[in-house]
Amino acid sequence: MTIFDPILDFFRGKAVTVPPLDGAFRPNRRLDEATVAGAIASPIDLAVYDGALVVASGNAVHRLESDGSFAVHAIFPAPVSALAVSTDGRLAVALETGALSVDGQAIALPDDIRSITALAFSPDGTLFLANGSQKNAPSAWKRDLMEKQASGSLWRVGSEGARKVAGGLAWPQGIAFAGGRLIASESWTRRLVAIDPDTGAISTALANIPGYAGRITPLSVGGFALSVFAPVNRLIEFVLQEDTYRTDMLREVDPACWIAPMLSSGRSFLEPLQCGGIKTMGIHKPWAPSLSYGLLARLDASLHPVDSYHSRADGNRHGIFGAAEKDGHLYTISAGGDVLLDLGEGQTA
Amino acid sequence: MSFRERLQAWRYNLIPDHLVGEILTKRWTDNAIPFLVLVATVAAFGTSIPGFFKPFSLQESTRQLGEFSIVVTGLTVVMLGGGIDLSVGSIFALATFAAVSGFFIFELPVWAAFLMAIGTGIAFGALNGYLIGFRRLRAFLTTLVTFIIGRAVFDILVVNYGAAIQTSSASSDVWDFIGDGSIYRISIPVLTALALAIITHIALTRSRPGWHVLAVGGSRRSAHNAGIKVKQTVFMTYVYSGFCASLAGFLIACRLSGAGPGTGLNMEILALTAAVVGGNSLGGGRGSVVKGLMGAIIVLVMNNGLIRLGYGTGTNQMVIGLMLAIAVIIDIRWLKNRHKVLNEVYVAPVYLKMGETQSAVPGSASPYALNNAISKTDYIGLGALEGPEDVILDRDDHLYCGTRHGEIIRYFAPDYSRSEVFAHIGGFPLGLAFDRDGNLISCVGAMGLYSISPDREVKRLSAETRRSWTSVQDDARLRDPNDLDIAPDGRIYFTDSTKRYDAHDWALDSIENRATGRLLVYDPKTGETKTLLDGYRYMNGVCMAHDGKSLFFAESWACRVHRYWLEGPKAGTAECVIKDMPGYPDNINRASDGTYWMAWLGMRTPSFDLSLRHPGFRKRMTRRLPQDDWLFPNINTGGVVKFDETGRIIGTLGDLTGQSHPMVTSMREHKGHLFIGGILNNRVGRLRLEGADEGWTGPLSYWGERA
Repeated sequence: MTIFDPILDFFRGKAVTVPPLDGAFRPNRRLDEATVAGAIASPIDLAVYDGALVVASGNAVHRLESDGSFAVHAIFPAPVSALAVSTDGRLAVALETGALSVDGQAIALPDDIRSITALAFSPDGTLFLANGSQKNAPSAWKRDLMEKQASGSLWRVGSEGARKVAGGLAWPQGIAFAGGRLIASESWTRRLVAIDPDTGAISTALANIPGYAGRITPLSVGGFALSVFAPVNRLIEFVLQEDTYRTDMLREVDPACWIAPMLSSGRSFLEPLQCGGIKTMGIHKPWAPSLSYGLLARLDASLHPVDSYHSRADGNRHGIFGAAEKDGHLYTISAGGDVLLDLGEGQTA
Repeated sequence: MSFRERLQAWRYNLIPDHLVGEILTKRWTDNAIPFLVLVATVAAFGTSIPGFFKPFSLQESTRQLGEFSIVVTGLTVVMLGGGIDLSVGSIFALATFAAVSGFFIFELPVWAAFLMAIGTGIAFGALNGYLIGFRRLRAFLTTLVTFIIGRAVFDILVVNYGAAIQTSSASSDVWDFIGDGSIYRISIPVLTALALAIITHIALTRSRPGWHVLAVGGSRRSAHNAGIKVKQTVFMTYVYSGFCASLAGFLIACRLSGAGPGTGLNMEILALTAAVVGGNSLGGGRGSVVKGLMGAIIVLVMNNGLIRLGYGTGTNQMVIGLMLAIAVIIDIRWLKNRHKVLNEVYVAPVYLKMGETQSAVPGSASPYALNNAISKTDYIGLGALEGPEDVILDRDDHLYCGTRHGEIIRYFAPDYSRSEVFAHIGGFPLGLAFDRDGNLISCVGAMGLYSISPDREVKRLSAETRRSWTSVQDDARLRDPNDLDIAPDGRIYFTDSTKRYDAHDWALDSIENRATGRLLVYDPKTGETKTLLDGYRYMNGVCMAHDGKSLFFAESWACRVHRYWLEGPKAGTAECVIKDMPGYPDNINRASDGTYWMAWLGMRTPSFDLSLRHPGFRKRMTRRLPQDDWLFPNINTGGVVKFDETGRIIGTLGDLTGQSHPMVTSMREHKGHLFIGGILNNRVGRLRLEGADEGWTGPLSYWGERA
């Protein structure tokens, strides 16, 4: 750094930097080495209902049987986008269309809610929901990021109807409750925010997450599991600065081939490739820049990251969309790897 | 095309941004700043001082300049050797006194006075050199000490013998001629300075001792490790500096016929400023006599100009001091950041709109549709081989391929499990071909065209072609010779893919996408290389048509295949036969059924194609992101394409798993098998071709039965 740099930056632009994977985020292969509890295509959410794991995938909620197979628990007219189970055993299901039901009963919602990305019951049994965006449906999350939207909101669904708690959020995709505060993950700003449920005041609780944060799952030992569904990538950050290229890309290119985060990568030759991701001498470097990644972080009760589970560039359990705890085991779903993973016993301690 | 896009196309395709990077690679750009300062200084004072360019004024200025630049030349040599000499002023003064006293007090002849002066200078220089070179004392402190002592001795001598000098009546025509005379209106000091500068320049750039000085200045330790006598070299630089200072002292003695307290005062500051302002690096190793001379002119013009404009000594010193400060800052910043600037500006992308392509997606019903036909091959040399860009088989079925270590490896038939290093060339051997006599001809990346005889004798055939008239960078050199093929008459047609990047940076060329690929021909009869075609976007594979009357060549980044006619009505012209492929073509080779195989090194992606229409995007990407994060074409998936004489696509083989052959750069058919190589792969794959001619081989197809 010199005194000239700010002046030169004006002409050449600032270097694009991303948070390093270090400390609690030090990479490992634990997601790739984890036991497969069951195979399921593109799982989107996970919960424990009636003593069994239920996974939302496609138009249905599936229940994991003891033999590792899935049985259909309920079928819906549209793809499921989020699940939640209350302490007294009610199952809330949100659909891609913006419809919400609790134990099969449809709940009427204001027209503003069209993109339910997360559901959570507060300790007193009130349902909260995250509306990812005013414009894009839950499955169009990639477009929402590349359009640089920040039109998400949080709602409290009480007996008197839905009430907006906070707005102007950049794709909230996780809700949790910690010490009287409402915690939400704001994916596109890569942070967790704390919201005062009464005033709606927003403050940053955890910043600089090395990826796009999704669902937040409370753990029995205290603390949370934070699903990070896609990595932060310098090239994507750069494209977000390049407005003409970005808008041309949004207009002309198939979303599967965008320079944008993905839930799995390297499966089609039409996807973008970065220099570091070139296979050399039969090796795909694990530390190569990648558009998809697998990361589940563990946070302590004060939301500090303490541990993490990774699937790196050369792995395939990417696109971690949620976690749940059952019988002392931590489970997670990988949308890129199409699996439900058992991270083992004692991992939650 | 939108207006904005058309504007982009004009901006990036018509303005030659790449020249900035090419000019910066030149060593002479170091001279640019001092030269501009020189022109500005002379122009400024020339216009503000009336009569600045009058002959008499110039005559007087140049005499002074002659003496001064001699001192600067000596100091430049010391600085190039990594040292500094603060004692030039006092050596200069002592030499003046020695000459004057010899001539006026002892009434010796002029040559003896000259020897006294020179002897004084060399003695002091040797003292400096001995202490710094052999005793390893600090150059700055040592020469500061000799400066103080020398000055003190001079002051004592002047006080005691000044009167004796002035009252002497000794005189000599030679003495007066040296002081006042001129040859062809050029004064003796200027002539001496010029002669000394030329000799020193030649010695530094063309002689062993001169190179040793530069090597020692560049890196003492490396010079020592290379066997250079560092101590002697350092010693000699100080002796030389002492000699120069005393030569200048003798000249001023002749001109002024006396020595006073002002002789040589502050000269070390002026000389040091001159050397640094000229652009000689204080760290040593970088600089030249010419830079010293430029600095000398700048400093002297500035100094005298300010005096004649009526500014006092204080102002003068202040200006000199500021100049030194600025020069030192530029010197350090420039040295430190030059390569960074070069890295930042070198990649200069151009605009290109790629044509619509047919899909290569499996099941798309296009002839390009990829499959998994080459995902399961028999591996040859798995893990032991690194970077077989091209593969070839000889008449005895042995397999040859290059490696990134600069070797040609031979795998023995029939099972290809045994191997040997057939020849070591260096560079990165890429394209391979056998000539009529069984010599293996190879395009060696970063080196040129080489021939390896059957008894392994390596011979360079060509490393350069004729330089084009408009090139800034030397394009006579072959930077990335890539593939070759041999015509029936023995002439070797080969490609040089890019003029902008070396062989190992080939993928960077795809980001820039500038059309600088060439088709060349080497004639073994005359040993000459000629450029046939220029201006293609990464010219890659070459293959002689089955009838030997034309050849096919691949233009990788444009995804096209062209045909170049050797004879017939279209001789000497090229036409495009396949365009807008979904993959980037690499090597092309003959197939047994009269058609051709073509390798795809990678696939086009919509995001990269779009970026080609946004050159500014790519340019900023190369500046703001580390290289590992740059957007590349997808070179993790390749394939093998078969096409016929007319350019019709017959079929495509691929490896969608990416496990065996992610990138394919070459393939060679031999006795019913296809051998597949990849520049970034660690194996050669062998695939059985159903229904192919079991007896067909390349050598047979090219040269017939063994003679």
